[in-house]
Amino acid sequence: MGINGSLSKRKNIIYCIISVVILCLLLFPLYWILITSLKTEKEIFQIPPTFWPKELNLKSYRAQLESGDFNMFHSFGNSLIISLGAMTISIILAVPASYGIAKYNFVGKKAIILGFLVTQMLPVSVLLTPLFIMFKDMHLYNTFWSTIFADATIGIPFSVLILKNYFAAIPKELEEAAYIDGCNKFTAFIRVLIPIAKPGVMVCGIFSFLYAWGDLAYGMTFIIDQEKRPITAGIFNFMGQYGTKWSYLTAFAIVTIIPVALIFIFMQKYIISGMTSGAVKG
Amino acid sequence: MITPAFIYMLFFVGYPIFYNIILSFQDVTVKTLRSDVKEFVGFRNYIELIQQDNVLAMSLWNTLVFTVLSLIFQFIIGFALALLFNNKFKFSKPVRGLLMIPWMIPITVTGLIFKFMFGTDVGIINYFLHSMNLISENIDWLTNTATAMPAVIFANVWIGIPFNMILISTGLTTIPAELYESASIDGANKFHIFRSITLPLLKPTIESVLILGFIYTFKVYDLVYVMTNGGPVNSTQVLSTYSYKLSFDMFKYSKGAAVANILFIILFFVSLLYLKYVYVEEEA
Repeated sequence: MGINGSLSKRKNIIYCIISVVILCLLLFPLYWILITSLKTEKEIFQIPPTFWPKELNLKSYRAQLESGDFNMFHSFGNSLIISLGAMTISIILAVPASYGIAKYNFVGKKAIILGFLVTQMLPVSVLLTPLFIMFKDMHLYNTFWSTIFADATIGIPFSVLILKNYFAAIPKELEEAAYIDGCNKFTAFIRVLIPIAKPGVMVCGIFSFLYAWGDLAYGMTFIIDQEKRPITAGIFNFMGQYGTKWSYLTAFAIVTIIPVALIFIFMQKYIISGMTSGAVKG
Repeated sequence: MITPAFIYMLFFVGYPIFYNIILSFQDVTVKTLRSDVKEFVGFRNYIELIQQDNVLAMSLWNTLVFTVLSLIFQFIIGFALALLFNNKFKFSKPVRGLLMIPWMIPITVTGLIFKFMFGTDVGIINYFLHSMNLISENIDWLTNTATAMPAVIFANVWIGIPFNMILISTGLTTIPAELYESASIDGANKFHIFRSITLPLLKPTIESVLILGFIYTFKVYDLVYVMTNGGPVNSTQVLSTYSYKLSFDMFKYSKGAAVANILFIILFFVSLLYLKYVYVEEEA
């Protein structure tokens, strides 16, 4: 316990076995919906259940390309537009803001930092009703913009608080050297500072994207047309209508997880860094 | 430089919070939404919510039960896993990484997964319980008032374990190895080391994990909404789903805003606690 350094060979093997057992237990739900999405509707209801599909059934995925009811690939595209939009707004606004906070002292700086911090803890319910009425008045209701704007309110404070630490850690001399080399404030920022803070920007981009990708409340409330809704709202809608069509539902779930899985595979280190610095450091 | 972000947040967060407060003192329903003059009714919405039915009290209680029980299990399991992965064995890094996945998955999907697994006839959980001879008849987890809340908490614990694990893991790495070494030279046993070194040194991490966990869990919305929608008979109704129901199912926008404000006020005070105990300590 807690004693770092190398373990004996026997202990090493025991720990490996324990950890793999835990892994299988905790990730079983994901395995279970993956193989369920590959079963026929009949096999899903079979008792005892099969832990590997007897006949591979890709119909749940293929049907989505053809049928019109609820096209999950279309909803997937909507989610992509909304999440990338929210991510772009978050980054464009958060990068200069966090730089300003990190490098300059001004009246009310502390209050602004605390403001961003508290915003992260805000329940969606507080914003839902007023934003709904505001978007109606602004004629943004039932457009992608409403959800993009709302989702960015989660990404911005997170990104500002993370990036300000990255910018604060960059030594002043580096910036000064850029000025001597003929950069002005703007080009120094773009050419020197942003590349150094790139890991931080990546973390912020990933989390802003993931927050928006996982959103249900905003997308469901501010967009009413099924063709424009994000995939989470689409799934929820489908559950309401065809509650027990589990072959389709699990296929939707798998498709929704795909971007998350890709991010996990290729950008894992950013996720752990974002979770720890975002939560502990605020 | 911070102005654009500041104005954006003021417009899309600051103003709505303020507007939500105003809204809760008015009488805005689907009929009056479009009219320019909105009636000011003072505390009537709050008073009616308290007097009329006990759904508000029930939601508050449910939210608290949901939060406290989720936190206890998430924290204990997360802590145990963090201790396990603090040993540098061959699989520690990759397995710990893979365990992050439940936390990243959209909560709508998680809700769907557990709705499926807790299904009465189709659900694998009933099958497992059957085959272990723990039950003789299928439990209708999500449609029974006694079992719906435990099922939703179970799903939430699954989501929260990685968060607790990774934060405590990070906290553990800050404890210098020499401390452990000298303690074991002094003949302290593992339990002793845990109690007198690990726990006290981990106190700031534990505080921050629990307070943040409380905040994130207390505002739960998607998971409950997808799994049970507050039912059956409000047995899983939490403040955020109740607020949503009032605003967007019953179109009583002002009442929905009032419930959201109650949620907001509670979380606001807990956030202050976080700022006071955790954030300020770390900045100093």
